[in-house]
Amino acid sequence: MADASGSNWRYRRRRILNVFNLTGSVIATGFGLFWLVWILWTTLSAGAAAIDWTLFTENTPAPGGRGGLANAIVGSLIMVGLATVIGTPIGIFAGTWLAEFGRKKPVAAVIRFINDILLSAPSIIMGLFVYELVVVTTRQFSGIAGALALAIILLPVVIRTTEEMLRLVPNSLREAALALGAPRWKVITLIAYRAALSGVLTGVLLGVARIAGETAPLLFTALNNQFWSTDITGPMANLPVVIFQFAMSPYAEWHTLAWAGALLITLSVLALSIIARTLLRQPKMD
Amino acid sequence: MNDTQTVEAGSKIQVRNLDFYYGKFRALKDVSLDIAKNHVTAFIGPSGCGKSTLLRTLNRMYELYPDQRATGEILLDGKNILTPRMDLYRLRARVGMVFQKPTPFPMTIYENIAFGVRLYERLKKSTMDDRVESALRQSALWDEVKDKLKQSGMSLSGGQQQRLCIARAIAVKPEVLLLDEPASALDPISTLKIEELIYELKNNYTIVIVTHNMQQAARVSDHTAFMYLGELVEFGDTNGIFTNPSQKQTEDYITGRYG
Amino acid sequence: MESIHTHISRQFNAELEEIRSRVLEMGGLVEQQIDQAIHALVKGDVALAEELVKNDYKVNKLEVTIDEECNQIIARRQPTAGDLRLVVAVIKTITDLERMGDEAEKIARMAMRLAGEERPKNNYMEIQALGNHVRQMLHDALDAFARVDMEAALRVAREDEQVDQEYDGVLRQLITYMMEDPRTISRMLNVIWAARALERIGDHACNIGEYVIYLVKGKDVRHTSLEQIEKEILGKNP
Repeated sequence: MADASGSNWRYRRRRILNVFNLTGSVIATGFGLFWLVWILWTTLSAGAAAIDWTLFTENTPAPGGRGGLANAIVGSLIMVGLATVIGTPIGIFAGTWLAEFGRKKPVAAVIRFINDILLSAPSIIMGLFVYELVVVTTRQFSGIAGALALAIILLPVVIRTTEEMLRLVPNSLREAALALGAPRWKVITLIAYRAALSGVLTGVLLGVARIAGETAPLLFTALNNQFWSTDITGPMANLPVVIFQFAMSPYAEWHTLAWAGALLITLSVLALSIIARTLLRQPKMD
Repeated sequence: MNDTQTVEAGSKIQVRNLDFYYGKFRALKDVSLDIAKNHVTAFIGPSGCGKSTLLRTLNRMYELYPDQRATGEILLDGKNILTPRMDLYRLRARVGMVFQKPTPFPMTIYENIAFGVRLYERLKKSTMDDRVESALRQSALWDEVKDKLKQSGMSLSGGQQQRLCIARAIAVKPEVLLLDEPASALDPISTLKIEELIYELKNNYTIVIVTHNMQQAARVSDHTAFMYLGELVEFGDTNGIFTNPSQKQTEDYITGRYG
Repeated sequence: MESIHTHISRQFNAELEEIRSRVLEMGGLVEQQIDQAIHALVKGDVALAEELVKNDYKVNKLEVTIDEECNQIIARRQPTAGDLRLVVAVIKTITDLERMGDEAEKIARMAMRLAGEERPKNNYMEIQALGNHVRQMLHDALDAFARVDMEAALRVAREDEQVDQEYDGVLRQLITYMMEDPRTISRMLNVIWAARALERIGDHACNIGEYVIYLVKGKDVRHTSLEQIEKEILGKNP
């Protein structure tokens, strides 16, 4: 029916278009991957040079000296841990409210909107906020201020993922529990949470991965501390600021330590992501 | 138009002048009928006729949604369940519901069934074990799952999941079972198993079933209510409805001349 | 009442229409057989009688065909309400029609026997009268079926009583003849068999009328009295 020559032309044109698009996508992917691989490779090779157990036992050294990152590691752990402890419960409760009770209310829509803004706001703003609120009033840089800033960054992430994951739980499951006579709060805690558990945990882990590397807010809340300190009412050492400081210095030993710190953070984020992924992969309900 | 019959076995639920609203839309119009005790009553009708709506008023499932409300009376053993003073949890303990889509909880099979029981009673482990076994036996699932009670409820097949949901509803010892198209998501063999189960259950429970499959209603029920656009068109013995209905609308729907 | 609307499934509708028209076809055939049988006997037409006996197979074949079609409708369509009653009524009607065909064949055999004998003065007038009556009953019954007409069904039920009385009268008459002249006994016996066959045809026609009532009203009026049938039909009419 169609003349052979015409369909041939159409077919060839389609094939050419196909090949063109395919090649374009591959090149673009390669381009993106290239930079990522380069960054990772650089971090790995430069940081690996400094990996030995002194990294974890000695504090940050004086200019020109040798040392480790012990105080920075501990400081980061404390602040991120505290931020998680503060931010996660609030985030989960807020996300639960939005998902369970705020489906049709207009105020819920407003809250979601604000949350989305905070989610993508530059973290330095949170740092500035906590600086004005805590550091200036207490006249002191402190670990707790740093933790607070990190908590405020973590919060929107947890709220968002909690709400999304709870929304994914089908209403039929809630109705089935209600039909048995379960009160609302039991439906939420025993059924909905259980169904959304892996998703919510993933959200928390991803949020933690994010705040682990935040530098700007810590710059003027926790500042930094050359010495070992676990006192959260005073300035605290932390990896991101140490990297910032050491990288810009003229000392080679400090450079190496900075790379080591970057490698540590990268590896932690990697570990957290892997855990998050395996959690998500567990058989969920369809 | 209404052909309400007081059944000799005694009626368990009496619906009187029930209206139901989704917002401003009147979905049920002045519905009155009796649900006979220890019998199976089926609601049939085309899509949107209100049969599922009517079913869900019987355990006040609509309370979850703020813009839905019911007016009129529904008497369970003589007491109106539509009053605000009615204890919803007690009501739902007496009137259980199984839904169209099988919804096992994300727990073990054992926990699925124990969940409902724990809402009302605190039982020793051995008593709870018996309760779980009894519920699973009654829903013809025990033999298939007795060795895997600790497995997730979601690892079962569709038909088994639905029987699990029925076992879960039975475990709290209700008096009435509401089934909302319980077999429509299942294959034909599982469907027949569920129908057989319904037949056995009606000795101990009053059953109300909504189905869009007329032959299923004919096979399974003792009384049938035909609804159309929110109104109860005809209600009577299933035998009579399917051999000689008194309303032409009913005849048209049943024989496939509707539409 | 059967709905005038058609089925959503046109195929199903066609199948139901098919068995209806087949039944009427069979009924027409049987009506013709009865007519021919009476004619053959009264007129002494042997050729006609033989033809009738040969053609009985047609009626039987129709019964088998329609039965098969009804079975298939039940198996595949699961008919309910009016459709179910139609199929059931058809199955029962064809049984009665087939029996009527057999009775007509019997009359034809009697006709062949009587053809060679001496003809009575009144030319088998009583058989003619009884035969007309009975044929009218069948006609009314088929009419009732075709038009789903309750009045016609009622007429059939009423006529059955009259036919029974008429048959009694014929018997008495024939017995009188036999007592008057014993040489006529063997001949009269054949006439009696023919009359009996006609009476049976009347009963079968009455049955068909009852099936029509079942079809329309959903009420099984077999084995009930005429008064009850009348109440059933007229009581419900305004």
